[in-house]
Amino acid sequence: MKLTENQKQMLDGKEGRGARKAMEILAAYGECYEAERLITITSVHIAGNYPVLMEEGIEWLEDLASDGTRVRVFTTKNPEMYDFEQADELKVPAGLRSKQKRIHEALKSLGVALTYSCHHYLVGNVPRFGDHIAWASSGSQVFANSVIGARSNRDGDHVALAAAIVGAIPEWGLHLTQNRKGEILIDVGSLDFEDYDPCDYKALGWHLGKIAGTKIPVFVNLPNNLPIEAIKGLLYSLTVTGAMGLVHLVGTTPEASSVEQAFGQNPPSSPDIVVRQEDVDKSYTEISSCTEEKVDLVIFGCPQCSIQEVQEIAQLLGSNKLHAETQLWICTSRWVKTLCERMGLLEQLESSGARIVADVGAADGPHLYLKEQGIRVIAMNSARGCYYAHNLFGMDTCFGSTRACVQAAISGRWEGRH
Amino acid sequence: MRKIRAKSVTGGVAEGEAIVSRTAISFTGGMDPDTGIIREPGHELEGRSVAGKILVFPTGKGSTTGSWQFYAAYKRGHAPRGIINVKAEGVVAVSAIITETPMVHDLEEDPFEFIEDGDFVRINANEGYIEIRNKDGL
Repeated sequence: MKLTENQKQMLDGKEGRGARKAMEILAAYGECYEAERLITITSVHIAGNYPVLMEEGIEWLEDLASDGTRVRVFTTKNPEMYDFEQADELKVPAGLRSKQKRIHEALKSLGVALTYSCHHYLVGNVPRFGDHIAWASSGSQVFANSVIGARSNRDGDHVALAAAIVGAIPEWGLHLTQNRKGEILIDVGSLDFEDYDPCDYKALGWHLGKIAGTKIPVFVNLPNNLPIEAIKGLLYSLTVTGAMGLVHLVGTTPEASSVEQAFGQNPPSSPDIVVRQEDVDKSYTEISSCTEEKVDLVIFGCPQCSIQEVQEIAQLLGSNKLHAETQLWICTSRWVKTLCERMGLLEQLESSGARIVADVGAADGPHLYLKEQGIRVIAMNSARGCYYAHNLFGMDTCFGSTRACVQAAISGRWEGRH
Repeated sequence: MRKIRAKSVTGGVAEGEAIVSRTAISFTGGMDPDTGIIREPGHELEGRSVAGKILVFPTGKGSTTGSWQFYAAYKRGHAPRGIINVKAEGVVAVSAIITETPMVHDLEEDPFEFIEDGDFVRINANEGYIEIRNKDGL
């Protein structure tokens, strides 16, 4: 791989130990994929929080930051375990607080923007069409490729951080135009989208991710002008059961105004996959793991709720009070919480008994301490959230629409998916 | 000993007993960093430890945070000693890079044709080949 003079200096350790470590990672990574050079990137997002980093990961980060290493590219960070301002109220154990504090200090020292959000594209980390970026976090990575038309591989956190420090990444995979062509054609024309809720798009994505695997799918016959919640629902589920980095939604993806454009040339004459409603229905039973009706916690925010989603939840809840034995959490970013306060939504939701929890996502961090507090059965409108809450933390999960989840918070029981 | 050429992902030499999976592996959620035991429900290696072994599998999958979990397993002494992949997915590749675990991929022949559980395997990632002696000493 060809390196610039500056990159060679970094590799020789002339810009410090952290920069050398970052260059060593990128050099080895680039050699592995036979990249010819490093290309400049404009945006980085990193994912891991304490449950995956563990003590050893924190030490790795602290070592990287120890000699004043700084990122050169705007870098945002995914959610953490708890809301600093509610730590006492939520009974977060002292041990977990000190771990998060160390991650926080290391990232601050590296110059990472401490957004603690998975909707970082709402706070200014917005790449443009054709930009080369390094976004760890498989859901937003596929969103960037498929909705914005920016270019990112499925980079792990170590590669994304190294790229942020060096300011460049090996040119391979989805950074190259020839690797962005569609590979399988999926026809969803037989589904009746008139009645579709965003949760149905999530169930659809769950089903198709298993079939598509790592291949780049091309969707045809989706409705025109799909709302962003439906698009996010589909993409964020596809990357739980599959491992593709790019999805062509014909009519929505900038590189897929037609099937021909999505495939580059010679699109298949007939679809590789035709979806039936029963496939989508079957996904619901796979995503939900719970066998009981009593719900301990309804938790929204995987990915974190936008202001529009909070408005919808508040409207569905109205003046109802939560069931005495059921909690309702809305996980979001600090800025959306601030907006809720300003708009009176926070007061309205709190008077119903609901909480808005900032800086966390609904899939992972909080479950470390919620489980210790006796929370066992949770209801979510996120297929992705259900997968991680169940497989990483052993929660029993009920999956359904926002309406069904709000209803469960009021009645204390799960009554079905819609 | 049978010798097969491969492409190096990292450098170094590792040898030991092979453990073979024909299905992809996710290090986040799929492998317990405290034991090296594969814990994904229904996975063909479920309940078996990859610690100290030469791990042979097609490719990675799942969360991009997998390199943190692999690193923790390595520091706790429960990571595989070497990795052989059909195709190195990015998360597995960087896991090997940060732990200096010898790793190769893209072999001249299909590794599932000639490596079985318990075979003795040596990875030479410096020169880009592997050597296999099967359980019968051949």
